Amino acid sequence: MPMLKVSHITKTFGGLKALDDLSFSVEKGEIYSVIGPNGAGKSTLFNCINSIYTPENGTISYKGEEITNLSSNGVASLGIARTFQNIELFSRLTTMENLMLGRHLHMKTGLLASASMWWRGSKAAQEEIKHREKVEEIIDILDLQAYRDKFVSQLPYGIQKMVELGRALCMEPDLLLLDEPAAGLNNEEREDLIFWIRDIRDEFGITVVMIEHNMQMVVDISDRILVINFGKKLAEGLPEEVINHQEVINAYLGQP
Amino acid sequence: MDMKRDYYEDVQLLHGKTARFWFFLLLITLASLPFIIKGYYVYILSLMAVNVIVALGLNLLVGNTGQISLGHAGFVAIGAYTTAILMISFAVPFIPAMIAGGLIAAFFGFLLGLPALRLEGPYLAIATLAFGLAITTVIGRVGFFGGHMGLSVPAVRFESLGLTRDESVYYVAMITAVLLGIFARNFLKTRPGRAFQAVRDSDIAAAAMGVNVSYYKTLSFAVSAFYAGIAGGLWAILIGFINPGLFSFILSILYLATVVIGGLGTILGSVLGAVVVTFLSLQLENVQTIPGIGQLLEAFSKQFMTLSGLPNIVWVLTGLILILIVLFEPLGLYGIWSRIKTYWKTWPF
Amino acid sequence: MTGQLIISGLTIGSIYAMLALAMSIIYKASEIPNFAQGDMGMISTYIAYMILVVHGWPFWMAFAGAMIFAVILGFLFEFLFIRRAKEPNILNLIIVTLGFQLFLYGMTGWRWGSDQRRLGMPFSETDTINVGGVVISHLGVATILTSIIIMVMLWFFLSRTKLGLAMKAVQQNPMAAEINGIPKDRILGISFAISSVIGAMAGMMIAPITTLDPNMMWDPLMKGFAAAVLGGMTSLPGAIIGGYLLGIIENLFGFYVSLEFKSVVAFLIIVLVLVFKPAGILGHHYVRKV
Repeated sequence: MPMLKVSHITKTFGGLKALDDLSFSVEKGEIYSVIGPNGAGKSTLFNCINSIYTPENGTISYKGEEITNLSSNGVASLGIARTFQNIELFSRLTTMENLMLGRHLHMKTGLLASASMWWRGSKAAQEEIKHREKVEEIIDILDLQAYRDKFVSQLPYGIQKMVELGRALCMEPDLLLLDEPAAGLNNEEREDLIFWIRDIRDEFGITVVMIEHNMQMVVDISDRILVINFGKKLAEGLPEEVINHQEVINAYLGQP
Repeated sequence: MDMKRDYYEDVQLLHGKTARFWFFLLLITLASLPFIIKGYYVYILSLMAVNVIVALGLNLLVGNTGQISLGHAGFVAIGAYTTAILMISFAVPFIPAMIAGGLIAAFFGFLLGLPALRLEGPYLAIATLAFGLAITTVIGRVGFFGGHMGLSVPAVRFESLGLTRDESVYYVAMITAVLLGIFARNFLKTRPGRAFQAVRDSDIAAAAMGVNVSYYKTLSFAVSAFYAGIAGGLWAILIGFINPGLFSFILSILYLATVVIGGLGTILGSVLGAVVVTFLSLQLENVQTIPGIGQLLEAFSKQFMTLSGLPNIVWVLTGLILILIVLFEPLGLYGIWSRIKTYWKTWPF
Repeated sequence: MTGQLIISGLTIGSIYAMLALAMSIIYKASEIPNFAQGDMGMISTYIAYMILVVHGWPFWMAFAGAMIFAVILGFLFEFLFIRRAKEPNILNLIIVTLGFQLFLYGMTGWRWGSDQRRLGMPFSETDTINVGGVVISHLGVATILTSIIIMVMLWFFLSRTKLGLAMKAVQQNPMAAEINGIPKDRILGISFAISSVIGAMAGMMIAPITTLDPNMMWDPLMKGFAAAVLGGMTSLPGAIIGGYLLGIIENLFGFYVSLEFKSVVAFLIIVLVLVFKPAGILGHHYVRKV
């Protein structure tokens, strides 16, 4: 059974078809990249998987279960995490608090438990301690120690991207959707990122679906690549196959 | 800077000896104040405590969840009337009546939160404004609530403890304010409060983290209304008489002004705002009695304005301060306070 | 009877329509619901009162004086406060309008006290004309006509003048408008001035019906908002239709259901519209993009 199966989804905005009868599936443990020119519908695809948009046609299923009509938080609770193209951090919270939100689904503290956090042994305090320890592991992996108690809006762009990745990892997802994780990073940060994405898959066994424009990086780490243009599938396959695919070259460089 | 040893310190109520010292000093001061000052001043302090409670709740909603309410006077009214009617008609003792008032206000907050789920800033402002007006209209027209004439609220006095009426109200209000303040602080340090703030900063990302955005928005309305309802009950026994005119649209704006002036999104801001706004509005009601400025304003009023309209200077100043805050110091008094603190900490650098 | 109710609903609805129009103009241009709208109209009405009653000058001078005052007030409000907000998000801008509302409310109370005054208009509210069994006061006719004249002038202004087109451009895409050399801030200032004038007219038309006092605009302001929401907030024709509709619905409700709870109708309408058709009658609702 595939980890993620998208079948024949269509999403239109006004008259524009952002996704047009698109189908593909991602196997467990893959690093699967989605590429395509600007406006090809890549982010719309993520937003459909994430239930921010509902496609007009077609279905999306995750581990064999249909998720097309779930709410966004319902999708998240099944173990799908994501990052955003234009960073969507909680800007007035610290790095630690942002990452703790990644633990939201793993925690239980409700209003009453929270109000009664008066001593170390209280349920809420115990839970906070436990999950902060878990977050600290992610902070260690991503080298974010220096920024732990800083407000994220004051962090440099590259670090914010890492915090966003960390926040998604804190959810301990089975499927991770990365929307242009390397955009705006410098070479060094990008090298680190490649290393981490491999690690995420190898160490944690998380399946990764990634939208990315940097071809070098895509070819380097992807197991398979999907190329879309005008919301349609142009090609799908191993990296070498895809970059030599005639239609792909045409779409990127124009018809000769 | 001490090193962190344990994550409990992140969420601990009073971390470190200094914090504990100041907090207990504050508690002792609050407890002994009625023995030092008398009468009217005890009343003012109680009024401040009541307004602190409203501000704490409203700040959770506006400052932390990013929703807006221009109808909070409506929730205060619900709390006040529930408490008063339970005490008058059903002879319920004050404390349970007040809690019931809070819960019923919370229920209305939940109801108002439902349409609010679909509403963004401006629409929500209008809907809550309309709610506040509708509540006072209904109360004013229904005989059961005393109509326009209002209701006399029974006096609350803990005689067995040897307290006067003013002192009884003072202690109930102060203890409630401190408790609710600690609750609010605990919310913000843990899961529910973080979810509120996530909804404020980016509802889309919050949902992607698994935060049920609708649940937390309605929850925030309910909690905020609970605070307002509790404050309403306290206010009712403090002033002893309630009528629909008290809970006007202007009062709702004044509550919002309180949290904006104090500082959106912080507990200290709610407290500072409520204390300062309460003090200012009481002072300005009798502005003529302030030496110097009073005579000046009186002369000015006689020359250019009307003397009978002079108390309106409350609104003039509150309005101006509100505008100036947005123009120059969006974090309000809390922002000024934290700037001063950094200045002293880092002086002379 | 129903006909009579509809006509008197139209009269009061004209006032709601004017206020809704004034709000929608600003909302379209800046996404700010202007809570100071009502009291801006009120203070302009007081200016008319001063000229007309206190100084005893003719009505046209009072009218002109109030309008000039309204233009300056609206423009200054935008220029001095709205434009200078440090973090101009919706919440902060709403707070500025609320602050200005409090300020004007206080100034009015300070200057004129809370006495209820009468603004004498050249149109009588007791003399009536009878059209096919339906009775309407001269003032009512004048109110309805004023609202229609405002609409026609506004339509002409927005679609036939250069400034009006610039305003439309700013409303639709502020950034593109600015790139094309339209001074966005100045246009917004002008929007505030126009809306202030419309609000002032509404204030002058309503003052003889209620009375002239610092609290007179609360209720109409709420109704104006309800009408604007009903019309969709972003649609000017929607605001007008919403205003007339609200006036009529309210009147019918007051007669057939309950006079006491007449003023709760506006709240019910706001809630119902927002729950079932958030875009209103003619507006369109859009969703943030990630």
